[in-house]
Amino acid sequence: MSDPSQVAAVIALIGNPNAGKTTLFNALTGENQRVGNYSGITVEVRSGTFFTPHGRKLRVLDLPGCYSLRAASPDEKVAVDALTGNLSGEAKPDLVVCVVDASNLERHLQLALQVVELGLPCVLALNMVDVAERAGLRLDPAKFADELGMPVVPLQASAGKGVLELKQALRFPLPHAAAAPWLTPGADPEAARRACIGRLCELAARRSEVHQWTPSDQADRVLLHPVLGWLFFIGILLTVLWSIFSFARIPMGWIELAQGALGEWVKSVLTQGDLSSLLVDGVIGGVGGVVMFLPQIILLFLFIGLLESTGYMARAAFLMDAVMAKAGLSGKAFLPLFSSYACAIPGVLATRTIPSAKERLVTIFVAPWMSCSARLPVYLLIVPLLLHEGEGSWKQALVLFFIYALGTASAFVVARLLRGRLGPDAVATHFLLEMPPYRMPQWSYIFRHVVERAWAFVHKAGTLILGLSILLWALSTYPKSPGADEAGTLAHSAMGRMGALIEPLVKPLGFDGRTGTAILSSFAAREVFNASMAILFRVRDTGDKKANRSMLREQIAAAKWPDGRPLFTPLSMISLLVFYIYALQCLPTVAVVVREAGSWRWALGQVAFMTAFAWLASLLVYQGGSLLGLS
Amino acid sequence: MTRKLAKEQELDRAMTLNQARVGSDLRIQVLRGPGCERLRDLGFCEQIEVRKLAGGRNLICSVCGTRLAISKELAEQVLVKMAVEKP
Repeated sequence: MSDPSQVAAVIALIGNPNAGKTTLFNALTGENQRVGNYSGITVEVRSGTFFTPHGRKLRVLDLPGCYSLRAASPDEKVAVDALTGNLSGEAKPDLVVCVVDASNLERHLQLALQVVELGLPCVLALNMVDVAERAGLRLDPAKFADELGMPVVPLQASAGKGVLELKQALRFPLPHAAAAPWLTPGADPEAARRACIGRLCELAARRSEVHQWTPSDQADRVLLHPVLGWLFFIGILLTVLWSIFSFARIPMGWIELAQGALGEWVKSVLTQGDLSSLLVDGVIGGVGGVVMFLPQIILLFLFIGLLESTGYMARAAFLMDAVMAKAGLSGKAFLPLFSSYACAIPGVLATRTIPSAKERLVTIFVAPWMSCSARLPVYLLIVPLLLHEGEGSWKQALVLFFIYALGTASAFVVARLLRGRLGPDAVATHFLLEMPPYRMPQWSYIFRHVVERAWAFVHKAGTLILGLSILLWALSTYPKSPGADEAGTLAHSAMGRMGALIEPLVKPLGFDGRTGTAILSSFAAREVFNASMAILFRVRDTGDKKANRSMLREQIAAAKWPDGRPLFTPLSMISLLVFYIYALQCLPTVAVVVREAGSWRWALGQVAFMTAFAWLASLLVYQGGSLLGLS
Repeated sequence: MTRKLAKEQELDRAMTLNQARVGSDLRIQVLRGPGCERLRDLGFCEQIEVRKLAGGRNLICSVCGTRLAISKELAEQVLVKMAVEKP
């Protein structure tokens, strides 16, 4: 008996998109993982471990969905490499579990037979037997096992049925590689496979009727209608945006209250001094200003999870194909770009489902111009100031909509130009998309996914943003100038000197050195802008119910140039907004682009282009506006 | 020779998936063109029955109970004929 803590074998799960691999993976390992009702949710290989009923520890890999072993897109290539043992860091699997949708055997068995031909030991998992039976399909797993010469396990992974039987089928000794009896020397393997599948389905999966008019089809008649479908699509998008801005305000109020109370408490406990200042101005003000946006981020990811899980996202991609074509992209680029409204990182990862390499590079390039949730704090700080009112009116929603539209439209124009420059693909690829049936959302998975993203955000606030907040506080406090007033202290501090240094660069855009410093500090992460501004403009927590943000807004509105002109005019605020729409200020995104585009040059080119573009656009707005006599 | 001629006549009667009427049940006769490997991977194989659900810029077809959206260019490579001859 071997050591039970040692991994006894590596198992790979493979199957077509939407066959339920990830659901089965979760049922086997119980590990948190995301599942989506849209082809290509698993874009990386995830692994987990579980024990067989005999106490052996097995490691299981969840491979991306693919239609065949002739890899067409990067995510399919990952799956094929994993099977053949060419994936770096992973050994060749000892056994492959081919997950097939039992209601769709004619199509899904293609891949299973190809895997058998590789000579790897296989177990066939007939998933979604409940759906197949409801569709009037009579399945005979024993006959399948006989014909194919390998273990066949019927299961319903979403309900956990048959998972134990599958674990039992994975007992030692592992099954031998099946012989692929359908292959005869000299014959076309494609035709042989097809004949074999036809015979199998005839024998073991009798279909009562070929075509059925399902409820999903009924729904699609409306949701994919050339006119009604678009109305629904736009309605859904507007509802999502509106909910994010209106529902999130309630929990945001709580966070502000808690933050104010905490600041007050710290001040009452500690005596006035550096430590108190560090905690109240640096830590609570800085981190709090960012954590405030947690509710909105949670809502955005919740809606994206819902749209994916119900199957609507594939319909949205179908509808958007014609629009994306205007930008030189296809409907497949819709999901990555839409996800980028939440965060560019999952968006860039999701581009792996795009088969055309050039289209994928272009999509990665423009994804950061979809205004992500990290920009929201900056927008929400500036927009009410621009309109001289409190938060949450329809006028602000309109301005926000315009901000999002500007980023998106520019992204499309750049995508089109870039796509034209890259030239056509060596091998033409065409739009091809599976429309999964509409399903009830899998709440547990959506919930897990949202918690994962929210935790990632809080983690970032607790590490990167906390560190930067403390650094900024220190830079704006030291070296001290005794006897000087607050403004004098700041001017004398390291930050003040830095601001003076970069002022010439940002003055043409309408900003002073302090704003320039805040922009500079937000190149690691955009949200830091609010924290920096709070520190630079010396906003203290008073502890009353007034929000920090509105106080910061008052401070900003009152700020003046040395000659007495107001620092922030409507024009300079628009210039600032334009800068934030276009600038790529996110280190994690750059890191992901380096990995996904496989090129430092592409990532650095993107940063350089977007920074230069942001500066020039900002310059154009401010100088152009000034020339026209606006202020 | 005659067999070849018969086959060609058969193909003449076939139409592309684009030409087929929406809502009709079709049997795939031949796949020809650069995209046919990909189409086979998706389940568009010879002798498989499909139903065309929507036309336009991209088509939607039902293949073995699954709905697939494919582009016009791909649909052009699929030759079909009516599955059930209407009287």
